[in-house]
Amino acid sequence: MKMTTEHLIETLSRDVPRVSRYALVKRVALGVAAGGLVAMILVSLALGVRPDLKIAMHGFPFWMKWTYTTSLGIGAIYAITRLGRPTPFSLRNLWLLAIPALILTGIGVGELARTPSGDWLALWLGRSWTLCPWLVLALAAPIFAGLLWSFRRLAPTNFRAAGAVSGLGAGAWAATIYCLHCPEESAIFVLTWYSLGILLAAGAGALLGPRLLRW
Amino acid sequence: MATTEAELKSLMIGSLDGDATAHSALLRSLVPLLHAFYRRRVPNGEDVEDMVQETLIAVHARRATYDRERPFTAWLYAVARHRMIDHFRRLRQTLPIEDVESILVIEGFEEAANARVDIDRMLDTLSPKQARAIRDTHLSGHSVAEAAAGAGIGESDVKISVHRGLKALAARIKIT
Repeated sequence: MKMTTEHLIETLSRDVPRVSRYALVKRVALGVAAGGLVAMILVSLALGVRPDLKIAMHGFPFWMKWTYTTSLGIGAIYAITRLGRPTPFSLRNLWLLAIPALILTGIGVGELARTPSGDWLALWLGRSWTLCPWLVLALAAPIFAGLLWSFRRLAPTNFRAAGAVSGLGAGAWAATIYCLHCPEESAIFVLTWYSLGILLAAGAGALLGPRLLRW
Repeated sequence: MATTEAELKSLMIGSLDGDATAHSALLRSLVPLLHAFYRRRVPNGEDVEDMVQETLIAVHARRATYDRERPFTAWLYAVARHRMIDHFRRLRQTLPIEDVESILVIEGFEEAANARVDIDRMLDTLSPKQARAIRDTHLSGHSVAEAAAGAGIGESDVKISVHRGLKALAARIKIT
């Protein structure tokens, strides 16, 4: 038998937990953190944390990589909290996500200027360019799954865009965690291969969004 | 039964603060609004009851997506609009649906469409003292004396702040 509307209202009003002002961003952050924990376990078990991590954490390249990936990740979380609301959101604001890439490009140009042109290819490809984008994409999967959990309380209406920024966020945080393993140090390596992995994740998110985010 | 933007919004904020009475009062107030909304737009009336119930469930489950600083009805009709789009999608029908702004005007909530957000945004560009003086005397309906006592400044200070603030706003509107 169908429930009457009055009965439905009574049932729903039995369970009214307080919702804080920051409930939305907390839920998104929790989804990322839960998925990120899984990604971190995967890195430490399957790939191994780079043995020189402690030393690397005192150097510029490590923090350059982390600043790049975390700033993308924070920007993506902000975009998710906006696209997770039903009210319209202008996608033009998303161009801000290009700023970290532009800054990294600047660092990369400086790097190339200091390097003899014969070494440019080695600088660009590093030792792991064939693997890096795919590992970032793979590590993004558990974080994307965490975000799908977050979305169960969100109300997106532009599924393609919401999926894309979720993939982008998952990719950016996956790359942040991948930094614990990856020994590459050049800006143009990160700009190309990390970004490629993150963009693959964003593309996968855009493809999956309309299927998985409907409510 | 709450019917205005201000009443509905205060019930919604009560609901977000965990007040079950406000929550059920809110949902009850939404029933006639949603009925009117769907009846006007869904060609065969049979599904309207289902859509109203689905919307109530969505309002309940996804209320964290409402931003307290923005009009409640804009959020409500965005949810209702989406439920309707989803309904037609499942039926494989295509129907033109207005955007949220037009819906608010048609359903009688045009004052919520943008006004408040814009005023707040404009006031934020002023100094806090000027913004407060304008809010107190022009938006909250206090007298100059009350505003002066509330802010702990002199009455002439309030008047000057209002005057200068409004002048600055007028200049800004002319530019944009």
